[in-house]
Order: sequence, then structure tokens, then C-alpha cells
Amino acid sequence: MTMQFKIYKEPELKDPYMVTGLPGVGYVAKLSADYLIKELKAELFEEFYSSSFPPYVLIKKDGTVELLKNELYYWKDDKLKNDLIIFTGNTQAISPEGQYEISNEVLNRAEKFKVKKLFATAAYVTGRHVEKPKVYGVATEQELVEELKKYEVLPMDAGSISGTNGLLFGLAKLRKIQSICLLSETPGYMTPSGRVLTDVKSAQALLEVLSKMLDIKIDMKPLEKEAKMAEEFVQKMEELERRWAEEMRRSVTPPPKDIYI
Amino acid sequence: MTWIKYIEEPIVKEPIAIVGSPGLRSIGKIAVDYLIEELKPKLVAELYSPYFPILYQTVPSYVSHPDYPGQAGTLLKEGQVELPKVEFYLLPFPKLLITKGYHANFKGQYEVAHQVLDFYQEFGVKKMITIAGYGREGKEVCCAATDLELIKELKEYDIGTGYEGPFYGFSGLVFGLGMLRDIKGICLFGKTQPNLEDPEYPDPKAAKAVLERLSILLNFTIDLSKLEKRVLM
Repeated sequence: MTMQFKIYKEPELKDPYMVTGLPGVGYVAKLSADYLIKELKAELFEEFYSSSFPPYVLIKKDGTVELLKNELYYWKDDKLKNDLIIFTGNTQAISPEGQYEISNEVLNRAEKFKVKKLFATAAYVTGRHVEKPKVYGVATEQELVEELKKYEVLPMDAGSISGTNGLLFGLAKLRKIQSICLLSETPGYMTPSGRVLTDVKSAQALLEVLSKMLDIKIDMKPLEKEAKMAEEFVQKMEELERRWAEEMRRSVTPPPKDIYI
Repeated sequence: MTWIKYIEEPIVKEPIAIVGSPGLRSIGKIAVDYLIEELKPKLVAELYSPYFPILYQTVPSYVSHPDYPGQAGTLLKEGQVELPKVEFYLLPFPKLLITKGYHANFKGQYEVAHQVLDFYQEFGVKKMITIAGYGREGKEVCCAATDLELIKELKEYDIGTGYEGPFYGFSGLVFGLGMLRDIKGICLFGKTQPNLEDPEYPDPKAAKAVLERLSILLNFTIDLSKLEKRVLM
């Protein structure tokens, strides 16, 4: 496996926190990270390229080409005790080896910048549609578990957090980096063609908790608007799928036996 | 594990790399094969890789899958024994390094693309033109590039953008990863009708349209009449 790094800046950061969120189910983690970057106007300082990413490139609307990559952003605010590093990207490594390699590179940066706390974000797949997604949390230390209770985050005793989003959290523990993983409920909704839908509502629920924990204020209005639109879309999709399932059922129903022609 | 067999010492420095591989409706492959056939460049090197299957388990071959690596093996072409390979041909005028690509399986795509780019850098390649196909409504030929300046330049030749989405396979990665090595690249996509049963079924008409634009862009003449005949067949 080969990795390449493009460093744009070497920021000086004060006791930073790190938030991680790569694309996964419902794009919950990525949406959360992206929204933070957009609202805080965080600055890109490093990009990772890896041969463990899917083997293709993206042609953007303006005709320019974009590579698959993972990115590190930073944000500083003099009024706050802790600066912020955000890790995201337009893909995630596919193989477990690649996921370990990338996660270790991210955590090398976390150690270099003396990250005080890592907040990994992820999706909690329920398989059903929920009105108000709940946010679950796990932490590497009991003290942090207690902290989660203050924010009404539900505890999670058993389960697994797959992919780089989950691995980062586990590897952080090995490196003795205080770490919390927030998981927001999402149906893991798929269209009949197998496309996973973006769950804005789930990301919103996650961001409401995360922003309080980071002690930052972000304007949730644009996201609320988007969540409402996505909600209407999901309802329409559900209706369509219900009808489609009904059609399927009808098409395989045998004719009643008491009819003779 | 991927290796290059050098055949001839390079004498031409800083050529423009032309890249094509068996992609959508084989447009890139037809175009590159025709350039080799007509311009008669010299074969200077070949790239071999254990990641080159002769039998792909994915359809089309350029959309690879981690669980389906394909089958390795030897090919027989006109009585000659051959291994699957990428071929590099050099032409002194115009200074072109024509690359006949081959799709690696999922595991080897990045390795192969990086080796191709290492080879380009040995030759001092600074520019690259990739030829591929696109299956959407739009102009006969559209473009993509590594920067907006190039998109602007192409507009002067009446070639606009028109494709948005993933670019899979050998040519896509070579084109994209070239950016990390400061190799400027443009891609010319010929419009075609996707063939779901046989995605690589040749479309010489689309290849001809792209070659016409390429010869104007690089200011060289090429007789396309033989390709024209293939269109009519």
C-alpha cells in the first residue's frame, strides 16, 4: 500500500480537540464533519492519498478532476480553550489494512498536535425510520462515560463500530488518547436500486450534541431546512417502496383456487 | 511486483503522453491503436504486472471489484505468445509517448498507475491527453482537465465540459494521479451509446471524432480514412 501526503500548512494549535467523520451509512459522520467545516470556516491543512481507496477519480461539474482523498482541517478561536482539528474525506479505505494505515496516520497527527480529546462520529443503524434520531455514545474512560450522561447521550454496552470511523476510536484508546464515539440513529435507508440515502436528520441530531460538547455555537438553520426537505423525500421514498412491495406481492399471489375457467 | 521491460533508449525528451485503454465502447483503445497503426511510433517499453488478468470476472473490465481478481495467464495473438501488458510507443514528431493501457484488477490499479507515472517522469512528461468515452447526452466530444486554465483553453477549440461522475480504470487513475506529480492532463471523452450487453463493444465513430479534435489540438495531420471505413462496416 502506498500513501501520499500533501501538506498545505503547519498550524500551531492550542490543546486541540479532534473530530473525525468519514463517509459511511447515511453519510451521517461525513455530513456532520462537513457541516462543522462549512459553518466554522475551518481551513484545510493536509490531504492523504492512498492506494487503499477505491480505484477511480471523480470528474466535477466544472470539468476538473478530483482524486479520492482524506483531509485534515483546523479551526481556532481565541475565546475558546481548545482549538479544533476535523478529519474527513470523500471516501474511506476499503481494506482493513488500509483502514488501519489511515487511522494510524491520523492518530500520529493527533499525537503530534497533542490532541486532548478525540470525538469520532458514526451511524447507529436501526433499519427503521425514526421521528427523532437518538444519539448513542461510547467512551474510552469511565470519566467520559459520565460526561456523556450530562448531554443525554444514551449508553451503548454492546455492538460494533465498523470502518475507519470506528477503528479510529479503538486505536485512540491504545494510544491513550481520550476518546468518545457518538453514534446517531439512522435507518440505513436504501432505495430499491440499493443506493444509500443521505440522512441529514441524523447528522443534525449528532451535531446538536457534538456542538454542546465542544462548546461551540453553530447555526443549525440551514441544516434544519435541509433535514426537512430530506424528511419529505424519505417519506415519498417509503410510500413508493411500500407500493412497489405491494405490487410485487400481488404479482406472485396465485389465483384463488375456487375459480374455474 | 509490477515491472517495466525497456526496449529502446529514449531519445525524445518531454513528450506529451497520450493514454487510452479498453474502456466504454473501447473508444480509448481504438483511438490509441489507430495512432500507433498510422503514425508508426517506436515501441520503447512494456509494463507487466501480476495484477493484469487475462480473464476478468467483472463486466465491464474497468469497473473492478475487491472480491473478483480475475485469472492470470498467457495470451496467444496471431501465433505469438504474449502476456497482458501496457505498451509505450514514442514518436519524435509530434513528440508523443503513446500509451496503450490495460486494466489491472482492484488490488493493482494504484500500483500500475503509479509505475506508469514513474516512467513518464523518467521521460520528462509534463502533459498528458487521455482518450475515453462517455455515455450521456451532449456534444460529440467533451473534456475534463486537471485545472480550470486548461478547460478555458479547450473552450477556444470549441470543446466544452459535459461529463460529471466517476472515471474508472487504467486511464482514469493515470490521468488523476498525474496531478500529484504536476503532470497537467486533459481528457477527451467521445460521446457514445452505452451497450449494456457488451460495454466494450467498439464504437469507431466516437473514436474518430476524438482523434479529429486531438489532431487539431496538437497540430498534426493524420489520415482517418481507414477508421472512416471501419465506421461504415
